[in-house]
Order: sequence, then structure tokens, then C-alpha cells
Amino acid sequence: MSDAPSGAQQPGERTTFEPYSAFDIPADLRELHGRWDVEATARRVRNFRYAEEWMMMIMGGWLATVPELPVKTGLGKVIWESAQAADILGRRLPELRCGRKSVDSSESPNDAFAAVIRDVAAPEQAALTIEKLTGMFDVLKPHLVEVYEWTMRETDQIADAPTIELLDEIVRKTRRHIAWAKEVLDRLCDTDAKRDRRVKRKKQVLQMLREAGGVTGEQDVASD
Amino acid sequence: MKRFIHHSELARDRRFIRAENILATILGSLPDDADAVAEAFERLDPLVAESVKGTAAEPLYEEFGCAFGIVATNEPLDPGSPAVETRLKLRMHGIFVGEMQALEGAGRSLWDFPDAPWEFKMNMARQCWDEARHVQIYEKLLEHCGGYVGMFPESTFLFEACCHEDPALRVAGVNRGLEGLACDVFRDMIKFAEKTGDEKMKQAVDYVLADELTHVRFGSDWVREFTKDDPERYKRAQDYRREVDKQFSFGGARSDREDAVIPIARADRKEAGFTDEELEELSQISSGGPSRKTLAQAAAILIERHKARRAGNQQAAE
Repeated sequence: MSDAPSGAQQPGERTTFEPYSAFDIPADLRELHGRWDVEATARRVRNFRYAEEWMMMIMGGWLATVPELPVKTGLGKVIWESAQAADILGRRLPELRCGRKSVDSSESPNDAFAAVIRDVAAPEQAALTIEKLTGMFDVLKPHLVEVYEWTMRETDQIADAPTIELLDEIVRKTRRHIAWAKEVLDRLCDTDAKRDRRVKRKKQVLQMLREAGGVTGEQDVASD
Repeated sequence: MKRFIHHSELARDRRFIRAENILATILGSLPDDADAVAEAFERLDPLVAESVKGTAAEPLYEEFGCAFGIVATNEPLDPGSPAVETRLKLRMHGIFVGEMQALEGAGRSLWDFPDAPWEFKMNMARQCWDEARHVQIYEKLLEHCGGYVGMFPESTFLFEACCHEDPALRVAGVNRGLEGLACDVFRDMIKFAEKTGDEKMKQAVDYVLADELTHVRFGSDWVREFTKDDPERYKRAQDYRREVDKQFSFGGARSDREDAVIPIARADRKEAGFTDEELEELSQISSGGPSRKTLAQAAAILIERHKARRAGNQQAAE
């Protein structure tokens, strides 16, 4: 007679549990295969990181040239959260076979997107808060949310889940940034002339972004 | 957007009035001689008169002339003193604008040095959020003390003094000079809050002080990193920090001297990474300048002249 407790599995026996018995409700409906392979995802992550890093640096520069106190202090938190976004994107890169030193790699998809970033950074004078915030928060950040969400839907849901998780976190915070800036811009644009400035600036940056193919260089950019 | 801006380009809303930076830094260059101090301030009188217009400092100028800066700021925050409310508001407003310049300095470090290591950018980005919260905290504390934003003129000498074009010198100036000064001032504020039983102020400033220690550590780490294998650059960074420390000592008002208005917060600074050697050096650098007794004598001379001038003007008008 065996010393094993009653019900214990014996050598050569199958387990008594039904396959997936505890896990088939609800069923895992996710399917393998996404739009991008490892290499393509790594390139996209570098593109995303390029945008987040530069947005963080641009807003850092603006702190000194924005006169509105609530904008100065509000940007402080957005800067930190954009830096965190760039940081977690960077930390994904070694996991995508880019090497351990790749954590601070950023890459613009093309010259045109680098030009978009330069244009977003261009407004400098104290009187141009509307132009500063519009380029950043009415155009660039909403575009990133759109691309990040599309990426989350289209990438391999199981194999690339770490990318989905980090983008999910970034999107959640970026939506907050956009909502904050919308409130600020709605207040700042209190005349028709100022509202026109906002519309004009938005059109201008959006046009450049469209020509660049967005943050990845291959994206359709929505018209509004 | 260009890199490296001048301190005069710092953008402010219409509540703020700018003061000439020399008004904040002159004490550090003066000898321990009442007449010399009085003469120097006398020469600055027109600048003072101009900068206080439309601010809460205007009545102080009316009463004390240009000596009000000495009278109001170079005495400790003593809860029993009749002028303590004014001194407290002046101190709070000074800290508030100082935090704003620290925020701008940290932000410019992100923009001015795009090729800096990623960890440096992370530290500066974090500092941006911290300084932004400090601005918000001191705006509330200023109101808590009965003050308001823009009630006194703002000097941008903190930004001017420490925003160097070399990142090693920038962090030596901002993160070790300016943030080190913040450690001293905030420890003094906590002591004041303890004396007056102001728990709100004590707790808020204690949190801010904790952040400042972190910022000094950033500075200590990055001065070391930027200057490793480059002793000449390290020497320049240390020399620059000494220069900034000298300016930020306000002629001994912040020092180890017995009559210091703001003592050096040695324990906090040590926790932040300052060495015993550096603290001894700071003690020596900051101890120069007119004593509080000398400043009181100079203020008396200036007030007397101011009143005589007023009386003369009044007579002439009649």
C-alpha cells in the first residue's frame, strides 16, 4: 500500500482536474497575432518615446516664458508625467531585443515629424500661451492618445501585453493632461480673436502632423 | 525656442512688480560699517522708491525710506516682535517667488541641456513637479498669513545667480546653492511655526523641506557625475557654488553667526549630502558682511535722513 495520501497523484497517472476547469469562464477570447512583429513594435516604442521626451523638454522650457501662474504650476505635473511616460517606454525597449543600453533611445520616424516637434516648441514669447498650449494639448497629445489606443487594439493581445499595459497607463494620464489644458484654453480664449488664434494654430500643427504621417510616420491623422 | 534665457525674460502676470536685483544682493558686498552701509543704500534709494510703487511695501518705504529693506528683513522672525506680521509676509512672498524661480530653473535645465543623460532629465522633471507644488503651497501659506501674490516687488536674482550655461555649474548653483538656502530658510520657518503653534504651516513646510533635501541630493550626484575625470570642471563647479553661496548669504543674514537671521541648517544639509568640509566652508563664506547691530545703526541713519528729507519737502511745499 502506498504512503501517499488518498487522492494524491501517483506516478504515471493523469491529474484529476478537468482541463482549464477553473479558467474557462469567461473564455479567453483573445487571439494570437497582432499587426506588428517585435522589431516593428520596438521602432514604434522609440517613436512614442521621442514624442514624450521632447514634449517634456519643451514644456520645461516654457515654464519660464508662460506668465499665467496656474499654467506654470499645472505644467509642472504634466512634465513629470510625460517624463515617466518616456521612462516606461524606454524600459520596454530592452524587453524587445534592443539591448540593455536602449532604455534612453528615442527616434523620430522621419524628418517631417521632427519638424512638427520643432514647430510645437516654436512659440516663445509670453503673449503666446494659447499657441503653446494648442500645439501641445489640442493636437499632439490627442494624436498620441489616438495612436496609443489603436496600438493597444491592434498589437498581439497576449504576446505584447506589456506594451498594452504601459500604454494604458500613459493614456489614462494623457487624457487628464488634455482635459486640464482644455479648461485652461477655454478660459484663455475669451474673445473671438483669441478663439481664432486657437483654431488657426490647431489647423497649422495638424496639417504638419498629417504630412509627417503622425508619430510613427505611417499613421492617418484625423482632421479634428 | 531659444536656449539660455536672461532673467529679465521670466514671464509674470500683471500682479507682479519686478525689483532691481542689486537690492537683494548688495549686502553681501558691504563692510561691517554703518556709514558705508547707509551710503550704499542711499545710492539705491531711487531704485527702491520705484520698485515699491503700488505694492504693500510702499507704506513701509514712506515710513522708513530705503531702510525698510534692512528693518523688515534683517531681523529674525520673533513671534513677540511688533513687526513680525510684516516680516512674515515679506519672508513668505520672498519664498513664494523663490520657488517660482526654482521651478523655472529646473524647467530650463530640461530645455537648455537636451543631450544630458536621461536620469538627469528624470530628476529635473521630478523637480519641476515638486517646485510647482511648492509654488502652490507657498501661495496658500502666503494667504494663510494674510498676504497675497504680488504684494511685494520680486527680485529675480535667484534665477540670475544660479542659471549657468554649463550643466555642472547649473546644478551646483540651483540644486546645491539655491536648494541649500531653501533648507536653511525652511528649517527656520518650521521653528517659527513651532513657536507660534501653527500646525498647518509646520506640516506643509516640513514636506517641502523633505523635497528640498532630495533636490540637493540630485545636485550632489550630478555635480559628481558631470565632473568625473575632469578636475578642472569640478573646481569650476565648486568655485561657482561658493560664489552663489556668498550671494545667498545676504551679508551674513544667512550664516552660522550668532546674530544670523537664518541659521545654517547643518543637520538637514548633512542629510542632503553636504560634507563637513563643505559646511565649514559655507560657514566661513557666509559669515562676512555687516553685523545685525551695524545694520540697525545704518537703518537708524537712513531713517533719520529720510524723515529730514520728508520734512524739508513738506516745508518747501508749504
